[in-house]
Amino acid sequence: MTATVWRRVAAVRSPDGAELHATIDGTDDAPVTVVLAHGWTLAQAAWDDVADQLAPRIAAGDLRLVRYDQRGHGRSTWGDAEITVDQLGDDLAAVIDQLAPTGPVVLGGHSMGGMTIMCLAASRPELFGDRVRGVLLVSTSAGDLTSDPRSAGGRMAKLKPGVLNAALAGAGVFERLRNLLPPDHPRHQKMVRGLLYGADATDEMVLTGARIMHASTLRSFIAFMPALGDHDKREELTALTRVPVEIFVGDSDKLTPRRHSKQLAEVLPEAQLHEVERTGHMVTQERPQLVTDAIERLMAAATADRAAA
Amino acid sequence: MTSTLETQPAPAPQPTAGVRDVKVAIIGSGFAGLGMAIALRKRGEHDFAVLERADDVGGTWRDNTYPGAACDVQSNLYSFSFAPNPDWPRSYSEQPEIQAYLQATADRFGVREHCVFGADVTSARWDDAARRWEVRTTAGQFRAQVLVSAAGALADPTYPDIPGLDSFAGTVMHSARWDASHDLAGEKVAVIGTGASAIQVVPAIQPIVDSVAVYQRTPAWVVPRTDHPVKPVMRLLYRIVPGLQKAVRSALYLFREFLVIGMAKRRRFLKPVAKLAQAHLHKQVRDPKLREALTPNYTIGCKRILISNDYFPAVAAPNAELVTGGIAEVREHSIVDRDGVERPTDTIVLATGFHVTDLPIAEKICGRDGRSLADVWSDGMVSNRSSTVAGFPNLFLLVGPNVGVGHTSMVYMIESQVAYVDDALQTMDAEGLAVLETTPAAQEAYRDLIAEKSKGTVWLAGGCASWYLDKHGHNTTLWPDFTFRFRRLTRKLDRENYVGTPATSAEVAA
Repeated sequence: MTATVWRRVAAVRSPDGAELHATIDGTDDAPVTVVLAHGWTLAQAAWDDVADQLAPRIAAGDLRLVRYDQRGHGRSTWGDAEITVDQLGDDLAAVIDQLAPTGPVVLGGHSMGGMTIMCLAASRPELFGDRVRGVLLVSTSAGDLTSDPRSAGGRMAKLKPGVLNAALAGAGVFERLRNLLPPDHPRHQKMVRGLLYGADATDEMVLTGARIMHASTLRSFIAFMPALGDHDKREELTALTRVPVEIFVGDSDKLTPRRHSKQLAEVLPEAQLHEVERTGHMVTQERPQLVTDAIERLMAAATADRAAA
Repeated sequence: MTSTLETQPAPAPQPTAGVRDVKVAIIGSGFAGLGMAIALRKRGEHDFAVLERADDVGGTWRDNTYPGAACDVQSNLYSFSFAPNPDWPRSYSEQPEIQAYLQATADRFGVREHCVFGADVTSARWDDAARRWEVRTTAGQFRAQVLVSAAGALADPTYPDIPGLDSFAGTVMHSARWDASHDLAGEKVAVIGTGASAIQVVPAIQPIVDSVAVYQRTPAWVVPRTDHPVKPVMRLLYRIVPGLQKAVRSALYLFREFLVIGMAKRRRFLKPVAKLAQAHLHKQVRDPKLREALTPNYTIGCKRILISNDYFPAVAAPNAELVTGGIAEVREHSIVDRDGVERPTDTIVLATGFHVTDLPIAEKICGRDGRSLADVWSDGMVSNRSSTVAGFPNLFLLVGPNVGVGHTSMVYMIESQVAYVDDALQTMDAEGLAVLETTPAAQEAYRDLIAEKSKGTVWLAGGCASWYLDKHGHNTTLWPDFTFRFRRLTRKLDRENYVGTPATSAEVAA
């Protein structure tokens, strides 16, 4: 009988009624659970390449992999709570509580997903060390996202809420405009490549990413933008000093440029910082092997700890 | 119950040595069986029995009690023309209302006292010497001059041949044999199939289950369902304005008949329908991968066009997953797909359809030379006007070969056939015939007619494998033309296509 990968989907319900679409690969008795959180206007599919690389280890029973759609993204619903990055941290707590109530956990977050983990560290510090035993932060930031007006993030953040609300009101029109320039259109891909990808990214990677983002709603773009601007967790990351942390950033990242990851590395002196050459914001897609290797190192440390304890 | 019961008691079939003699035995009490029985009652014929294997009338609408079961045709059209119902609660009614309608109609026309419940036909043989059908059932034996098989095409569920299905430790149920006592709440449910039943059952159970995996072989074209409650004022108008409901019915009929132009005549007329379905999918599913998996690669109409507003949202729900890899095997507590992914499963719902091109009743009916109908049909179902078969005297089929429709009301076809069979029975009476049998030549001619009409239709040329076609790829189930043409063809008995044998004087006396 050939080895199979166990898979199930689950709707994780948050206290305010949002339902988060999660995919769980691997069996419940695996020694460690890896939970991956995706970025703004993306979906769990942004981790597909990493998941593919991990598949043999999942089939071998070495880990359980949980990918989930953040609220308002992918298949997940919105819930009633106000949209903040702190709320996303609470969502991650719900995912851990419901899908990995026991055993060691390794967390991985890309971009807004990394901020999600920082919010969890601020609101549920007790989880880190005992339950959460390793953290991977990819292309992310602890705050001050809007201070650099020259960065793409800074330029976007200049859009005032009034402008955003008007856009939301005219969402139908915007949707139609968006559909006029679908992801497979060369101009669409050029824009996406310029903003998010490094020099080595293949057209296929860009198209895949463009499709994932195209599937996200205008509402998630608009609702989360001010939330990201408000995100500032530089003073509240103490819990992350208790566990191994690996930080990745592409040298040509325009959304969360290198200085954000450097700042993180200063606050977390034990953390390993990897600056990846010729790579943009989409490190999980552009360099899945590097990211997978880091997850495997964190997994090894997480399970070695348990064996020692 | 109506008072006609007390004033006009139906002569009960007389038991003779355990065998009950009736003039007409009807197998099944769904729309077809009831329609036939009512036609007989209406012209004063009481010497008949309706053999029903279950304990109630209703057929397909009695058996398909799965959550969400509803009709794809508006109730104003999907009902007997002679028994309009002004009280339909919705434009497209759900199974309980349709079943209640059938029960009420059976009562209203006094059919129920002709019904023998628990009578599952085990065999029906033509006794050429006695010129009678010998019908054995689980409720005793019957002898009938005429046998009408109204067993239907959506009667016997098909169970897929999946390795390991027998070893599954959880619950397995077919959508047509739903176990309402089994609580799906909090379970991991697998739905196998994405046809008309599946797209109704998935949205009905998705909100209550822990998770649902939908195993899809071929995606269906799905168009919006324009369902709405019927306003009380409309129900009142149906009651007091003569002809209003009939006018609505006619409009619905005509509108649906336009689809035939696209499906059977000029396929390009289907393009707008395909556009509508594509826009529907585009609007309801954002995920590009899921959208692609749900996009059919064959011409719309080749398989049954489905209507739903909640199927796509249910498949795209946070607790749902569409599995397209195909099933490799079923294990004790899981299903393994061909991509090597194993999903824990508590309950398997088989929404895998019915024996349509291989009607099980055909195995039980044996004709003049002792061969079963299934045997005679082994190279494909043949008939004269979808109703009679050479070598099977005094046998009439309702909802038999080439009478199915995907675009409009089956009840229209049934009423056409009932009129044809009734005319045949009256012709027998008028001419004093003991036996009426169609000719092989008439069958050939009808087969050629169907083949000619089917040529170039979307069902044959649409690039799909559907339950409409038999194993040889021939259309033996669908009427491939406008339905009013079938009605014209079956308005009167085509006496020239039949050989009649007069009754002996002894038979007349009897």
